[in-house]
Amino acid sequence: MTRNVRAPKAQLIAVDGVEAAAVLADARAVLGTPTQGGISRWDASGVFEELAVADEAAGAPSARTLLLLYAADLAFRLRWQIRPALAEGRTVVAAPYVETAMAFGRAAGLDAAWLSNLFRFAPRARTRRFVHPQRGRRKTVRDGFVGFSCDRLAAGRPKQERQRMVEQTAAHLRRRDR
Amino acid sequence: MRPTSAALRAAREHFTTPGKRRGLLVAFEGPDGSGKTTQRKLFKTWLESEGCDVVTTKWNSSDLIKPIIKSRKSVRSLSPEEFSLLHGADFRHRVEQVILPALWAGKLVIADRFLFTGLARDVARGLDLDWVLKLYQPLLWPDLVFYFAVSPATSGKRVTATRTPNFYEAGQDVTQVDDPVESYQRFIARVIREYESLALIFNMITVDAEQSIGEQHHLIRRLFLEGRERPWSDWNADAVAEWLGQARNGTSR
Repeated sequence: MTRNVRAPKAQLIAVDGVEAAAVLADARAVLGTPTQGGISRWDASGVFEELAVADEAAGAPSARTLLLLYAADLAFRLRWQIRPALAEGRTVVAAPYVETAMAFGRAAGLDAAWLSNLFRFAPRARTRRFVHPQRGRRKTVRDGFVGFSCDRLAAGRPKQERQRMVEQTAAHLRRRDR
Repeated sequence: MRPTSAALRAAREHFTTPGKRRGLLVAFEGPDGSGKTTQRKLFKTWLESEGCDVVTTKWNSSDLIKPIIKSRKSVRSLSPEEFSLLHGADFRHRVEQVILPALWAGKLVIADRFLFTGLARDVARGLDLDWVLKLYQPLLWPDLVFYFAVSPATSGKRVTATRTPNFYEAGQDVTQVDDPVESYQRFIARVIREYESLALIFNMITVDAEQSIGEQHHLIRRLFLEGRERPWSDWNADAVAEWLGQARNGTSR
C-alpha cells in the first residue's frame, strides 16, 4: 500500500494501479490542496469513451490495439495537461501513467521491448507510486484502463478469465514496484 | 501476445504447404496524386476476371478506429505522436480483422496504402523512424509492394487540380503555413523524400507514375505474374502466430 507523501512543486508524479478509484484516491492524497497542481486522468482525450460506443460489428480490439490507443491518449494528456502544468511550475499527478499500461501489456503476453518503445515519448516521472490491491482480496475491477481493457479482451469468455487478466496485471505491477 | 511455438509452426505450415495456393498480400504505395487508387481498381478488376478472390483494404478505414481519427482531424487537434499512434491502431485492427483472416482463407489482399504510408508521413512530421517502425511490430510484409513514383510538382498539380488539400494532408500541422496549397507542396516534398528512402530499404517495385495509365497497368500485371510465386516470407510468422493466438482466445476473427 502507499504512504502519504506531500508533493513539492513542479514535478511529475506517477500513480499506477489496477483499481481506478484507489489510484485516484491516492493521487488526491499525494497532491494535497488542488492549488498546488492537478491530476491527469486516463482517457482525457475521450478515445476510450468513443470506443465504448463503437458498433460490435467493428470487431473487438486486441491488447496491442488498446495499448496504441492508451499511448495516443497519454500523448494527448502530455500535450494539454502534463507539460503545460509543469511549465507553469505546478505539480502534476498522472493517475495512471505508463506503468499500468506496461503491466497490462505484459499480462497480455506482449513483448517488453515493444512496450518500452511504445512509451518512449513519455518523460520519466520524478516519483513513481503504486497502489496495489490487498493480497488475497478478490475485488472486481470495473473502471479505468485495466477494467475497460479486460472487459474487451475477455468478452464472451468465462468470468474467471477476466479476473485472471486483472490479477496478472496486478502481479506485473508488483514486480515493477520492486 | 508472445506467439507459442505451436502457433508459429501452424503459421508456417499453413502458408508453405506445397501445391496449395496461399493468400497473397499486394500493397500499393505512393504519395497523393500518384494514381495508385486508379491502378488498384484496374488491378482488382483484372484479378477478378482471372478468377481470384480479392479483398481490398484502404488506409485509415477500420470501422473501430476511423471515427476516432476523423473526429480529431475535424477539429485539428492531433499532434504528430497522436496522429501516428491512432493510425498505428487503425492499421493493427485491420491487420487482425481484415488482412490476416483473408490471407488465411487463401484470398488475395490488395492494400491501398500500407504501413509505409505511416512511416513516410510520420517521419516527414519529424518523428523518429525507428520508433514509428516498431509501433507496427509484429511486422507483416506484403508479397509485393508497388511504389508509384511522382515528383512533388506532379503530385501537387494533380491533387490541387480538383480540390484543396485538407489540413493534415497538406501537413499544415507541421509546416505552419496558412495556405494549404503552398503547405502541401512543402510537405509532400518531405513525404516523397521519405518514400524514396523506404522504397530502397524495403525493396519496393517502383512504377513510374508519370507514364500513361495503360502502360502502368500492363507493367503491374506483368510484374505481379512474375512475382506471385515468391516463397512466403518467414518474417511474417510472428504476426500470423500472434493473430492465431488471439483467435484461439476469442479476441479476433
